Amino acid sequence: MPTPQPWPQAVETVITAEAGLNLDPLIDMRMEALVQPGDSVGLGSPILKDRRHPEWVVTAPMSGRVAQLELGSGRRQANLLIHHDEKVKPHQFDIHAARAECDSKSGSNALRELLQSSGLWMRLRSRPFGRVPAGDAIPAMIMVIAVDTRPLAPDPRLAVEGEALDHLKLGLQALAALFDGPIRFYQDEGPAIVEESDRVTIARAGPLHPAGLAGSFIRREVRSGQDLNIWEITAEDVADIGYLLSEGSLAPTRLVSVAGPGLRETRLVRCQPGADLRELCYAYMSPGPRSILSGSVLEGREARWLGWRDRQVTVLERHDAHPQPHWLEGALRRASRPEPIIPTSAVEHALGGPMPGMALLRALAIGDDEAAAELGALAMLEEDLALVDYVTAASPRFTDLLRACLDRIEAMT
Amino acid sequence: MIRGIWNRETVAMVWVAAALPLAVTWLLAEVNAGALRLIFVLIVGGLCQALFTVIRAQPPSLAGLVSALLIAMLAPQVGPLQFVIGIAFGFVFGELVFGGWGRSVLSPAVVAITFLGFAFPTGTWPHLPVQIGWATIPAAGLLLAFGVLPWRALAGAVIVLVAAGGFTLDLLGSAVAVVLVFILCDPATCASSPLGRWLAGALFGLLVALFASVWPAPTTQMGVSAALLVLLSMPLLDELAVALWRARRRFRHG
Repeated sequence: MPTPQPWPQAVETVITAEAGLNLDPLIDMRMEALVQPGDSVGLGSPILKDRRHPEWVVTAPMSGRVAQLELGSGRRQANLLIHHDEKVKPHQFDIHAARAECDSKSGSNALRELLQSSGLWMRLRSRPFGRVPAGDAIPAMIMVIAVDTRPLAPDPRLAVEGEALDHLKLGLQALAALFDGPIRFYQDEGPAIVEESDRVTIARAGPLHPAGLAGSFIRREVRSGQDLNIWEITAEDVADIGYLLSEGSLAPTRLVSVAGPGLRETRLVRCQPGADLRELCYAYMSPGPRSILSGSVLEGREARWLGWRDRQVTVLERHDAHPQPHWLEGALRRASRPEPIIPTSAVEHALGGPMPGMALLRALAIGDDEAAAELGALAMLEEDLALVDYVTAASPRFTDLLRACLDRIEAMT
Repeated sequence: MIRGIWNRETVAMVWVAAALPLAVTWLLAEVNAGALRLIFVLIVGGLCQALFTVIRAQPPSLAGLVSALLIAMLAPQVGPLQFVIGIAFGFVFGELVFGGWGRSVLSPAVVAITFLGFAFPTGTWPHLPVQIGWATIPAAGLLLAFGVLPWRALAGAVIVLVAAGGFTLDLLGSAVAVVLVFILCDPATCASSPLGRWLAGALFGLLVALFASVWPAPTTQMGVSAALLVLLSMPLLDELAVALWRARRRFRHG
């Protein structure tokens, strides 16, 4: 994927004047507003709460004034706009009880409570199905992901160096106090970022996408099935937990790369979650129509605000004008079934790992949920098949087929 | 989001490009008779594809060009009417009724050629000159460079053929080389799991060695018959590989 060179060495901190909310589509919330338009909110103040799971809380990504807050149909979507205001102080959490639990490694109630009230609980993601875990759930294993092999992604090492490394260690300590299971720290082939201990073990990923995805690791190392219960969280979010435990407020920024062929200059910035992508990109775009994706070029979506779990922004050239196809070609295209997938070595690589990938793709394509689950579909999320979709230009997309399959299995359980 | 280019027709274009050195070498050797035969097969095969395009809205594939070349090269010499029946049978029942290239179990070339061989046993099988065997080397190189050829199947077959031939290239003649690269290693019909591909290649090598030792037939017929049997067993080999993978996984993870 081309991007203007050189790749930046320095990271600039940018807090955009506006911020919003772009939730992960897998987070299924029935929202309840806790603030009104016009209210002042500090960084970390609760803004939205789920009606069925009161432990799922969305907090303010920056200090400022709420300009707009509308709940969409069925209270499933929120349209949030916050204007930045430096004068409002960040929300302070009471961390003493949680800190004591973390240091003494006994009990986890206050720690759990703190993570849920600060909204950091929403950064966790569980497999199978990729939902935010329920407030009292316990995982069999936690994966801390400190590697990102997506095209043009920032190096997660930059996000956890210096002071953030101490926060990362504190965050890992907190995770170890919270849960009993093993913690796998998934990183690149370079020197170890954290020391191994009896609870934390390091797993390594190769440099080529999709090796850095949690799904690749799980399919390689873990037997998948209905009883699979693995939570994943990025190393930067773990460092945010450590930041919260040492400072008493939420970390204000995350590391984001702004790259792509539609720019004049590639940038690495630290910006708030939910940052305004237009402000991040407009001054650096090359002339011509462009589209701004939140996320990588493989699975990103056009968006106004930075996505919930996204750590990169991709600017592409926009091709809106499609020439009118010949009427016979158009009729054939509409009437015909989609073209089959030819198993070339590109598809083999995109599936990653030693699993019988083409068998899985066939099971997904014909809607055979049982075979798909046997072949490891439960360990996968959309991002794991995004590269297959890119390589084969498949229609319908395998990511959609996988989600439909997972939804059917989830509805049965 | 952007989409890649490796859809079916891109793979088919690479497939056709790889067949060009073969086509040129064969046409130089056969001159007019060969060109006439190739045009004949192209017309009949093209009509079959056009029929399915109009009736079933099934988009045609460029891979049909390679199938046509293989039929022209490898099919036994029969009269024109018999030839039309054979080609049409191969294209329709080998590929088009299953949904076209990529959905079929067999390649139309192998169906057409074996049909003609069984139905009209008096037809003489062609003998491929030696330079055609050499022309498969750049073809295989191109396909391997683009990752279209399943290299495990090719390697498995070459290893078994060389070993069974007493570490000479006796068994790997022109006809067997063409069948190996363009029929057995067709990515659309070859097994899709790594182990299944190794097994498919090895099985092809064993069958050719077996036929060579007990069956006094032309090498073309031997190669095509071996390829037909291996293609028919591809789903079984794949299923075997998946079952083995599951068993090993259960054993390893408890």
